[in-house]
Amino acid sequence: MDSSIIRQLRKIAGKEAVLDRPEELMLYEYDAGVDKHRPGAVVFAQSTQQVSQVMKLASDKKIPVVPRGAGTGLSGGAIARREAIVLSLARMNKILEIDVPNQRAVVQPGVVNLELSNATTKFGYYYAPDPSSQKACTIGGNVAENSGGPHTLALGVTVNHVTGLEVVLPDGKVIELGGKAQDSTGLDLTGFFVGSEGTMGVVTRITVKLTKLPEHVTTLLAIYNTVEDAANTVVAITQSGVTPAALEMLDGWMVRCVEANVHAGYPEDAAAVLLIELEGMRETVNEQAEAVSAVCMQQKAREVRHAKDEKQRQLLWLGRKTAFGAVGRVSPSYYTQDGVIPRTKVPYTLAEIERISKHYGLIIGNVFHAGDGNLHPLILFDSRDPKQTENSRKAAKEIMACCLKFGGSITGEHGVGLEKMGLMTAMFTEDDLEVMVRLRNAFNPESILNPQKMIPDLHFCREITGPLPKAKFEPVAGLPV
Amino acid sequence: MSTVTSPASVDRELAAIVGDGNVKRTDFEINGVVPAAVVYPSSAEEVGAILHLANDRELVVAPAGGLTKQQIGCVPERIDILLSTTRLNKVEEYDPGDLTIAVQAGMPFAEMQRQLGEHQQWVPCDAASLEHATVGGLLATGAAGPLKSTFGHMRDFCIGIQFVTADGKVVKGGGRVVKNVAGYDLMKLLTGSYGSLAVITRANFKVFPRPRQTRTFACSFHSLDEALQFRTRLFQSPLTPMCMEIVSPGASEYLSNQGTVRDPDHYSPEQPISLPAVEWQIVLRATGSDNILARYTRELGSAVTRTLEGAEEEQFWEWICHFEQSVLARHQNAMVLYTHLAIQNVGPALQALQRVAPDYNLIPAAVGRAATGNLVLALMPLSVDPPSAMQYANCVSALRGMLPPGSSAEVAHCPKEAKPHFDVWGTTPTDVKMMRAVKRAIDPKNILNRGRFIV
Repeated sequence: MDSSIIRQLRKIAGKEAVLDRPEELMLYEYDAGVDKHRPGAVVFAQSTQQVSQVMKLASDKKIPVVPRGAGTGLSGGAIARREAIVLSLARMNKILEIDVPNQRAVVQPGVVNLELSNATTKFGYYYAPDPSSQKACTIGGNVAENSGGPHTLALGVTVNHVTGLEVVLPDGKVIELGGKAQDSTGLDLTGFFVGSEGTMGVVTRITVKLTKLPEHVTTLLAIYNTVEDAANTVVAITQSGVTPAALEMLDGWMVRCVEANVHAGYPEDAAAVLLIELEGMRETVNEQAEAVSAVCMQQKAREVRHAKDEKQRQLLWLGRKTAFGAVGRVSPSYYTQDGVIPRTKVPYTLAEIERISKHYGLIIGNVFHAGDGNLHPLILFDSRDPKQTENSRKAAKEIMACCLKFGGSITGEHGVGLEKMGLMTAMFTEDDLEVMVRLRNAFNPESILNPQKMIPDLHFCREITGPLPKAKFEPVAGLPV
Repeated sequence: MSTVTSPASVDRELAAIVGDGNVKRTDFEINGVVPAAVVYPSSAEEVGAILHLANDRELVVAPAGGLTKQQIGCVPERIDILLSTTRLNKVEEYDPGDLTIAVQAGMPFAEMQRQLGEHQQWVPCDAASLEHATVGGLLATGAAGPLKSTFGHMRDFCIGIQFVTADGKVVKGGGRVVKNVAGYDLMKLLTGSYGSLAVITRANFKVFPRPRQTRTFACSFHSLDEALQFRTRLFQSPLTPMCMEIVSPGASEYLSNQGTVRDPDHYSPEQPISLPAVEWQIVLRATGSDNILARYTRELGSAVTRTLEGAEEEQFWEWICHFEQSVLARHQNAMVLYTHLAIQNVGPALQALQRVAPDYNLIPAAVGRAATGNLVLALMPLSVDPPSAMQYANCVSALRGMLPPGSSAEVAHCPKEAKPHFDVWGTTPTDVKMMRAVKRAIDPKNILNRGRFIV
């Protein structure tokens, strides 16, 4: 990157807050997904004002800026193109206010998700959205991706818990959207902004809802001899009228993988397990636990175990939350999918994934949010073997095609980013995407912020935004376009 | 900037799109403005053709559903086409197993709810006038009732949306699955946009199992302070009521059948009404098994002054939902505001209402969501002293002035003559310039509900 830009960035953020040496930049060329690109510079902003100055500079010089939190994203949303500035918000990590009477917290974007809950439980509250990466991921990143997590089944995803944002626009202007009130007069730009993947503005302050800690929580582990029975149970629970706080499924392969890693107490000979969490008033939880156990047994569960105490409960969850890491131990590379299907199609889709796995000779582990039909098949491959790498991509596409066949979505919580941009045309028409581009341009007219992410660069984008380098766009074989 | 078009030629072109019988005249007024024509399309494509035509000619279009909320907003300069979605009234897909439903925008909400009810499911929205209000209209106005406390409002259930932009493009956002982050969240953008961005033609919702049993506990207090202290204790308790309403002393009058009510329009200083209800109420609605409801009874203890069940309970919530309608049915010159407040600002806002109203010879009454800060504030004029337009304007400005920062309060109803004298929508914490930029991005000629909404 041009040394005068680096100098100016240092002037804004301080000498220590700008990285430009190749060995430093290498650390910022990837996120938790599959794509890689080295940025031109990394700058760590420490205040809204610095973010604004960086944006103003970038706008003036027409340099793309990619906002970044902890880099735990799975879709390449925080990956820069060459010569882009990566704007890290990780050092803006203060909890500015915990407002218990209003059930709100005001935080900077770099606050780690779990730290907010840890800071508020002493008041009887917590921050509900809990992505599996919650020990590392930032709330700013959660806002950008509209992150979910196991416990969003009953309580909703990030957008349901954000009431106010301070946003820096690409030209450096600072605007407010919403505040501590549940909503406000006029367009709901707060709700619209959440999930915009850093393509509309840089979030510099977030007001979130705090959720009252439930009086009672219990976790059940239902064990199955076939995947099909487990999948049928998911449908049956949904229909029974009970909405669990979380309803997660791990298939047999994942169970063994997790057990080898953390000894969570899952039976290693199971074909599948369901992890079901119920929370609320004590009476409600007890009644629901009984009802859910009965449903599981009806659906041919081998056994339903109740976590006896908090320690056991945490252990069961440890298995779920470290599942991805456990896979990392056994396979050099894996490719995580994030497709969503209607809940009744879970049994069929899992059978289809099994078929695809056999067809390509690749192990596909399943660990996912069964309750809302959000699948996370993990395709294992060795990236040093080009044949395997290619097959993993083919398998991924077939799985996605299967999700879309049922009116599903290409992403439930990981975002489109770079990774799934090519699939957007399988879900949306050119008109749909064109309207999205028009709306993005209201915030980010010159595509300075996170360019070539989320919406594929179809011909109309250039008509509207002026010339831009063409993004990689590959149509997916076998999908309706 | 408007093009002069002879209505007859436009009518012919509209008829070519939707058929002769589906272009009509109307005497329905929107704040005194009669639309030049009403058109009834039967598909999103027809809506597209109508908007394409309107956009070309710069005709002002007002999207319409059940006409229950059309009087909200500023007085329009003109309306060339009232675009009614009432023929778009079908369920497109409903799979009870998936707990999702796709319906066309013109379907009356109550009809959708009936179909869901056959499977003990519902969309938990209890806004007013659901027999007439359409799914699209409820989305466009972001309407909600007491259930908002637990379930949120339409934006929180809407998982997919189809709409037609001002230039006639049929566009969709979201999908038919309950979790989905592909593309921008157009559902959030359109919910509460009051028809100013696009015409909603279809919506997909996630639906919920319907509670099997409920019970309502009304708790009375001598002062607002006591009521709010009770609310704080509830927040700290393990109880999780489905609804938590606060009812002002003046509101009780409107939570009953009309026949039994004394009419403040007949109030005069010589014959003061001795209001029997001087108490503030917090009303809770709980759901669950006998066991759970028994726990509510136990924990609420002596705070409960009245317990309601069955038909009596249903009737009570019906009244709460229709508080605004009940006020307006008795006082056509009443003013109604909707507030958006931080939880702790519910108290200051209600105090402001009680303080400001008498200064302008208005009688205050309020009902609302104590846990979310969405209140319905009503101000009724005395018949002895019909207020002037400026009186409404001054009252609104005084009331807004007393609300803590970050609050917003829009005037949902007042005599149309008063509307030009003040800002109907008021201030909002969200950047209005950005809202207008969004509006320009998808309706550059400003043909949709021109001059009525905040953008």
